[in-house]
Amino acid sequence: MTEEDEAAFDEFLAARSTALLRTAILVCGASATDAEDMVQSALEKVYRHWPRIRHDNPEAYARRVVVNGAISKARRRRVIQEITFAQPPETPVESHDPGLRDVLLTELRKLPPRMRAVLVLRYWEDLSEAETAALLGCSVGTVKSQSARGLARVRARMENLEGASA
Amino acid sequence: MNVEEALRDAMAAQVAGVQAPPSLGQAVRRRNRRHVVRFRVAGAALLTAAVAVTVPVVLTGGPGTAPAVGDGQGNGAAAGQGAPVASATGSGDTVAVPANLVPDMVGKSAEEGGAALKEAGYTVRITKVVSDKDPAGTVVDQTPAPGTSAPPGAAVTLIVAATAAPAPDTTEGTESPGMPQDLGDLGDGRTLGGVRVGYLPDGLEWGKWSGKDGFGTRSYTTSWVEPGLEPGMYSVQIVIYRKDAAKKFGERLKGFAAQGAKAVEAGDRKAYLVSLSEGGDELNDGGTRTIAWNLAPGVGVEVMMSPDYAAKIGAAAADRELKKIAAEVAVVK
Repeated sequence: MTEEDEAAFDEFLAARSTALLRTAILVCGASATDAEDMVQSALEKVYRHWPRIRHDNPEAYARRVVVNGAISKARRRRVIQEITFAQPPETPVESHDPGLRDVLLTELRKLPPRMRAVLVLRYWEDLSEAETAALLGCSVGTVKSQSARGLARVRARMENLEGASA
Repeated sequence: MNVEEALRDAMAAQVAGVQAPPSLGQAVRRRNRRHVVRFRVAGAALLTAAVAVTVPVVLTGGPGTAPAVGDGQGNGAAAGQGAPVASATGSGDTVAVPANLVPDMVGKSAEEGGAALKEAGYTVRITKVVSDKDPAGTVVDQTPAPGTSAPPGAAVTLIVAATAAPAPDTTEGTESPGMPQDLGDLGDGRTLGGVRVGYLPDGLEWGKWSGKDGFGTRSYTTSWVEPGLEPGMYSVQIVIYRKDAAKKFGERLKGFAAQGAKAVEAGDRKAYLVSLSEGGDELNDGGTRTIAWNLAPGVGVEVMMSPDYAAKIGAAAADRELKKIAAEVAVVK
């Protein structure tokens, strides 16, 4: 690794690390601390291969490592989360002020990790369906169906809430 | 508001306040070093020098401060190199640390770190360590670790990278620049330094390099890798200590015991199975899994497993394999 490589890596971090960290938090539904640990470990992989990948879209590579790391981390956390977030289905959500955002995020966290990753990549990272598919290593059809199902669940929750507060 | 927009909005709001910390680059590099074969880190030229850290530096850490500090030890030239790492991330680099927590000096220059620690009321010690990876004069580690609490006046040791004496580079070929071949062709790589490694996990092959005296005078080291691992990385590395190096090694073992490590059974011998920080002296959860023991009078052995490989086979299997390796190392008559 030459000094120039090192400098370029620092530039890359300065430009992209916050975005990667944000994506990681959203995909794995974890705290910032956990997500940071994961991003560090992903970036360590990037750093290791840096001289080779720096000229070949390192951002896409980094994002792929981060997202896949986040998915597997989220899978491990899932059991615990399901217990934590489980509520009886018809518990009237306190109609004042749980805030639409909180409700949506809670619902987002309840989705299977991969489905959540699709929504994050499509609507937070603004990737196209094809880019999302390439990143997750699945077909465009899978992205479409996962995205539709995820949105449907979030939408149902949102309508429920709007109905309750009306 | 449709659901896509609402979702986008919610996601944006959730992470709006999140910023990657300026120390991320250092953290990544520090992690990286744990995966890299060690040539000479432990004890090689541990010249503990009571270096006078005299240059007062105002540690506001603004970008571009990297002061051209006087080079008390002849390392000044590279001393500033740590600074751009932090400042390149742009956001303000002033770190607020509660008064009794040891601040993080890793990656800063020795002068800068020493001055800041003094200002915070600590006694500063400098230990130099020969390192191929870090610019000379930068702090590569510190004890106590950053963020641990220490009373005012406590001694904080900065581990500072120094340049190695020009090493005879007998590397053959070009594929792995910098990998020493001190002991020549070792065949299966399992016999070196007067010992034979009887057992290794399945699927590992010799890393095709070996080092002599990197860990003190009369020490031998090599590694085994999973096929396809890039040069410079290891899966399992061994260091054999003899003579003077064995004495220092014995002191390190005592240090492990003093830190609360308990000996485990590996075959018919007792060994310390510990996770070690980067310098190899301190126990540290999440460090490199290492087994170390005295094989015979005047012969010490240390086997470490790369965090990658350990994660791949699982923590329990990693410990099992390390014990099995340790049980089957024997002195060659």
